[in-house]
Amino acid sequence: MNMRLFFHVLKLAVLQQTTYRTALIAGLVTNFFFGLFRAAVITALYHQQGQINGLTLEGAITYVAIGQAMISFLFLFGSYDLMMTVYNGSIATDLIRPMPLFSLWLAKDFGAALVNLLMRGVLLLFFFGLFYKVALPPRAADWLLTALSLLLGWLVSFAWRFLVNLTSFWTPDARGIGRGAFIFSQLLSGFLIPLRLYPDWFARICHLTPFPAMFNTGMEVYLGAVRGAELWRSLGIQAVWFAALAGACFAMMRAGVRRLVIQGG
Amino acid sequence: MRRTISLYLRFISIQLRSQMQFRASFWLDVFTTGLLNFSYFVSTYLVLERIGNIAGWSIAELAFLYGMIEVSFGTMDMIFSGFDPDVFSRFIRLGALDQVLLRPVNVLAQIFGSAFVLRRIGRITQGAVVLGFAFAHLGVHWTPLKLLYLPVVMASQVAAMGALFMAGSTLSFWTLQRVEAINVVTYGGVEVMSYPSTIYPRWLRGFFTYLIPFVFMNYYPALFFLDKPDPLGMPGFAPFLAPLAAGLMLFVTLRFWRFGLSRYQSTGT
Repeated sequence: MNMRLFFHVLKLAVLQQTTYRTALIAGLVTNFFFGLFRAAVITALYHQQGQINGLTLEGAITYVAIGQAMISFLFLFGSYDLMMTVYNGSIATDLIRPMPLFSLWLAKDFGAALVNLLMRGVLLLFFFGLFYKVALPPRAADWLLTALSLLLGWLVSFAWRFLVNLTSFWTPDARGIGRGAFIFSQLLSGFLIPLRLYPDWFARICHLTPFPAMFNTGMEVYLGAVRGAELWRSLGIQAVWFAALAGACFAMMRAGVRRLVIQGG
Repeated sequence: MRRTISLYLRFISIQLRSQMQFRASFWLDVFTTGLLNFSYFVSTYLVLERIGNIAGWSIAELAFLYGMIEVSFGTMDMIFSGFDPDVFSRFIRLGALDQVLLRPVNVLAQIFGSAFVLRRIGRITQGAVVLGFAFAHLGVHWTPLKLLYLPVVMASQVAAMGALFMAGSTLSFWTLQRVEAINVVTYGGVEVMSYPSTIYPRWLRGFFTYLIPFVFMNYYPALFFLDKPDPLGMPGFAPFLAPLAAGLMLFVTLRFWRFGLSRYQSTGT
């Protein structure tokens, strides 16, 4: 992969995303208030209990707050940009660019994600911290490992969204498919409710899927719930899920690109 | 009036016909939107399997709160599609409102008739399923008053949330953009109303009592239907304020709408 090209696309994506500053702030306000509403629900769920399944109230509130902060970094509600280019025909130009489609979108997605992380995520947590006590990772090394885990989480999320978007090569209904598929990114990743608060049987099902690797793993690292060998194993699982999903993307692209009919233009 | 209604029905029937052109994708949309909203209830259900209750409300009682507001919001979102701030602000930017104002037909009827997102029945259906679950497990002590009041409450919820949609749209007469902060009270309001009000901090409860009176839309009526005591110490008629509060919200919003429309300047597109 041509790194210079990659960073150039990344830079363009950053510029594009920072253009819509009012939209960023408006989104931030909504995410922030939902964070407050959800923290109230979590507080009521704990109802004087110090901890549930190894997760303290402060930990759970932090978990929910960071979940709200990460919506726009991990695109937890899904993204539909690639399928739009299939339907409006601009994918034809993207396919003849001197860059594989996967890396092109990887760079675009990362640029937007970075802007969202810094302008929405960090700001949201700052304001949230004025209302609730937000737990912080105890050691400096935990910050680095959390960053690594969240980066891997973004990669897993990207590969999953790319895969779902590729269905547009076959059907005009990819939007509906996406709406269904992205439910899992919320329900099984821990975003809606920390996975530790689910009953054990359901948490076990979640862990058979790639979705906890998107968000829950990063939070467990942040809160110091996984340590030592288990921590490295968690990061490894994230990497494996990214590799598996990316592999699926490449296989699907090879199969789909030959029968892709470009509409419009 | 008669002509306005018959025209409105015609607009809607055109909408429905065009949305039903692609049957398979329509039903896929209905199914996935229903499932998406249902997953929110499922996650609460699963947590309560571990924890038991939230602020003294069992899962069936919560299902009542959730089901009521989901059915109403879905219905509102369908009827008020044209006033969805996202849709209406685009309407203004494209200059489509100019055409509306030039036609010799009631403006409200035209905007109500300009969109009718039928796939919302997915959300309504999942709300109805959850509500059915609630009734099956609660053994509500039904009285004639309760039976009569239930549809009134739902209609009030539709009107109250619809009023917020209209108010949000009215703002775009000035901003021309959708005002995303309105989501905090519309979609956020639905979120807040699907849990017992006691779980929220005082300032938030105050906001949804005195500024936007949502606490009377779902929480207080639910106390009445489920014969639960009121820990907040409101007067005994509080559960019956829903239609009054909704009427007031709609009245104020219509005034605001008329004021906004009189100040409207076309975008020139």
